[in-house]
Amino acid sequence: MIHIFDGAMGTMLQAGGLKPGACPELMNIEQPEVVKSIHKAYLDAGATVIETNTFGASSLKLDHYGLADRVTELNAAAVKIAKEAAGTKAKVAGSMGPTGRFVVPLGDLDFEDAYDCFAEQAKALADAGADYLIIETCIDIQEMRAALLAAKENAPGVPVICQLSYSEDGRTVTGTDPQSAAIILEALGADIIGVNCSLGPEQLVPIVRTLAENCSVPISVQPNAGMPYLENGETVFPMGPEDFGRWGTKLLEAGATFLGGCCGTTPAHIAALAATLKDATEPTRAKHAKRLWLASRSKAVCIDKKLPTRLIGERINPTGRKKLAAEIREGSFLSVKKEAVNQVKAGAHLLDVNMGVGGIDQTAAMKKAVTEIAQLTDAPLAIDTGDSAALEAGLRAYPGRALINSVSYEPERIAKFLPLAKKYGAAILCLPITEDGVPKTAEDRLEVMRKIITAAKEQGLDDGDFLLDALVMTVSADKNACYEVLITLQMYRERFGYPTTMGLSNISFGLPNRPLINSTFFAMCLAAGLDAPIMNPYDESMQRALKASAALLGDDPNGLAFSQDEANLSVPKKAAVAKESNLAALPAIKQAVIDGEKDEIVELVARAVAEGHSANEITENALTAAMTDIGEDFGAGRMFLPQVLLSAETMRAAFNKLKELLPASSEADKGTVVIATVKGDVHDLGKNITGALLANSGFRLIDLGKDVDSTEIVKAAIESKADIVGLCALMTTTMVQIDKVIADLKAAGCPAKVMVGGAAVTQDYADSAGADAYAADGVQAVKLAKDMLGIE
Amino acid sequence: MPIYNTPLLRIDSQETRRYAGLMKAKDFDESRIEDACQDARLLAAPRGIWQVYDYDCQKQEIKADPPCIIEGSKIGAHLAGCDKVILLAATVGDEIEETVTQRFANGEYSSSVLLDAAATTAVEQIANSIEKAIKTKAAAKGYGMRWRFSPGYGDWPIEQQPELIRLSHAADIGISLSSAMMLLPRKSITAIIGLYKEDKSKPDAAKAQHHKGCAACEKLDCPARKI
Repeated sequence: MIHIFDGAMGTMLQAGGLKPGACPELMNIEQPEVVKSIHKAYLDAGATVIETNTFGASSLKLDHYGLADRVTELNAAAVKIAKEAAGTKAKVAGSMGPTGRFVVPLGDLDFEDAYDCFAEQAKALADAGADYLIIETCIDIQEMRAALLAAKENAPGVPVICQLSYSEDGRTVTGTDPQSAAIILEALGADIIGVNCSLGPEQLVPIVRTLAENCSVPISVQPNAGMPYLENGETVFPMGPEDFGRWGTKLLEAGATFLGGCCGTTPAHIAALAATLKDATEPTRAKHAKRLWLASRSKAVCIDKKLPTRLIGERINPTGRKKLAAEIREGSFLSVKKEAVNQVKAGAHLLDVNMGVGGIDQTAAMKKAVTEIAQLTDAPLAIDTGDSAALEAGLRAYPGRALINSVSYEPERIAKFLPLAKKYGAAILCLPITEDGVPKTAEDRLEVMRKIITAAKEQGLDDGDFLLDALVMTVSADKNACYEVLITLQMYRERFGYPTTMGLSNISFGLPNRPLINSTFFAMCLAAGLDAPIMNPYDESMQRALKASAALLGDDPNGLAFSQDEANLSVPKKAAVAKESNLAALPAIKQAVIDGEKDEIVELVARAVAEGHSANEITENALTAAMTDIGEDFGAGRMFLPQVLLSAETMRAAFNKLKELLPASSEADKGTVVIATVKGDVHDLGKNITGALLANSGFRLIDLGKDVDSTEIVKAAIESKADIVGLCALMTTTMVQIDKVIADLKAAGCPAKVMVGGAAVTQDYADSAGADAYAADGVQAVKLAKDMLGIE
Repeated sequence: MPIYNTPLLRIDSQETRRYAGLMKAKDFDESRIEDACQDARLLAAPRGIWQVYDYDCQKQEIKADPPCIIEGSKIGAHLAGCDKVILLAATVGDEIEETVTQRFANGEYSSSVLLDAAATTAVEQIANSIEKAIKTKAAAKGYGMRWRFSPGYGDWPIEQQPELIRLSHAADIGISLSSAMMLLPRKSITAIIGLYKEDKSKPDAAKAQHHKGCAACEKLDCPARKI
């Protein structure tokens, strides 16, 4: 059935006498006849579903007008007006708009506060008799989740329409794409999924299509009448009723069956739309078998037998990892975050999150881990816990559709985990374990699996919600362990058709050369039908087995990717183009410094010393010579700062090695430089760079740090008998301190030369402040220092 | 008004390269830049906030309580025709900065400088995503947006930073100011964005009043300069 929504409310209210800055929802009480006449105009135009004047009638929004305590009253009045207007010829949808704030961690609105706010409004609308609830114009999937959960629990039985707003790039402002939205919201129980506002009908056609392709519930759409502009002081939406109405056909074809208008639309637009769709037939949506889709805020991932293998990264798990466990216990999640990012980089498509550390609040830890990881990566998450409170905290906090790891056929898991899966729209990883333990044979596992799936379906879960674990036992304890897994995988696929998973490494427990056993086993399982292994994505032997299997099983057609992988070429490309390095020791050192080869330099210095070169020879003929070349290349724009710094690091390693081998002969003796960033200035990277280059060019460096008072600089310069004082200031506000330090140095009779630099400092400024030199950068500073002290 | 802490799902490696002064470097190991971007994502605590005010472009007055008069003719010209302004603030927090310092002290000079560049990229990205969030809302009401402008650009005196801190509510996301008007944490941004009503009858109204970005800056020898 095709349903016609109404159009814009706000502009109609203004036309009906709403004062600028007044609360639109208060009209429901103060001027109900105006609201009713707007409804009537839309009904006359052909609307079959009208929206209540309650877009901002939540406590958080009404609070702006000091009306937060009148939520129930304003919502009930709005429904009453709409129902009176609609009578029996149209339905009433209770409108719920966003709070205007972002939900934690994107913003400062707590998820529970958002939930409470929507719950109050949903209840008021439902109690007053709304036929639908419509949550609209949301740009944050997490706010939408809070609203939908609140609506489902506080307005049971009332169908909920969920509409996000997308920007021109096809994502919401907070990054959610329509595919992920469709997957997340359908699983969470949305009855109708759609899009409104922000864009005109033309831009919404592809979004509607994507929504329709990724869920099975009806699709709704309410475009703006194009993008607004101002003409002679009036805000104008460019699209007239005729144009707008014509787009109805395209939107219908794309899959929408609830159609209406948002900003800029009028009863005339809705009449045109209704006329276009009057005799239209409802499009038939292609029916797909439900597949297992998981989604983060901004990315959806499908696990399916017809798709390449998906890796579930297992590393966010403190079991057997003391350091990680200790960190989590102390409340630090840096390593957890590193594991998340690094696993994705290594090829993980999903991340398992386990917070099983003894003696901590698992619920809080799971909530924090899920929240932090979801801010950092777009790989969907598996929440791995046996604790139902921790599971719920993780599911509630996750702005996506998660996988629950795991549901076994143990009474507590069945009783507690399955309802949570349904409530939060999560998929479940099914583990064929009973109270009596692990069934040994494939047949027995299949039987347990059948029971889990039956129980889950009784709770409302369906195809597309299941990932089946084949359960890996240890082959050293049971010679049939591998065989049973292979049979189990095959039978899962034949009997259920659902995708499969398992943790692999248990197979080799107690055997030597475990990587070989594991990777061989892995290849066998992939052939038998394993879709999504839970594994360590850093494990190279496993990754190699995966790539080879992909080539063999057709996931990598004709082995194309395999044959382009450097690791598989008999002569690795890198080695083939590697430079000849049979230089003599000193030229080799010089070249290594220029190339910034820190790892090679130590050995080269040792070789030079062993060959009888003196420290002086090495310093002058190799290291200093390199620095001279680098200075020239930098000056000529052939080399750039980070490269110079790599060379400096290499120099530093060389000097350290020289000091170690020839302790007496390699003191820095080119002169003493006192260096500081002046008072008030906290930017010290440039000063640090200059200091590092000076220190690695043979100067004795005294670095006083940043925000340094003039008195301290003068004192250090005199006490250390400095040859040069280097001063740095970044900004015009702190540059004046340079003048002060120079004056103080002169007053104290300090003979040191003064060199200045920093982003805002210029040669002119240096001259007027009475400095001896201005260095535009660190490399130049080294050269100037040498010049000033007469060093070649 | 809203706090918006944008996720940093990636940090632009090309921008990081530019801030590190490596735009023209041909053979610099890309993996070092990628590592810096990744480290910055792990260390950053992205935070952002903005407030909307009415604006009188004749008087250059932000109608806050108390009001604020913006000094400087270039910013005045840039905001000409605007009747609302957004004051925004963004930061990546302290930890990333501490790591930059620590690495340099350990002699890891290049990774320190690259991390610093990645942090700069990150804070700009955060400000960009705040702009994106504002743009959607503003466009729906028929407003166009001038590009963001900060004290220190042109002749807008940096001494007005305390007002930007106050008006953006930057303290709510942990940004403060040193006595020399420097933002703390260092990798932070405060800025103003003008909103004007797009008027098709006067096509020039949408145009910015003067050069943007690098073109507006007089530091011609800046290693990160794009043009």
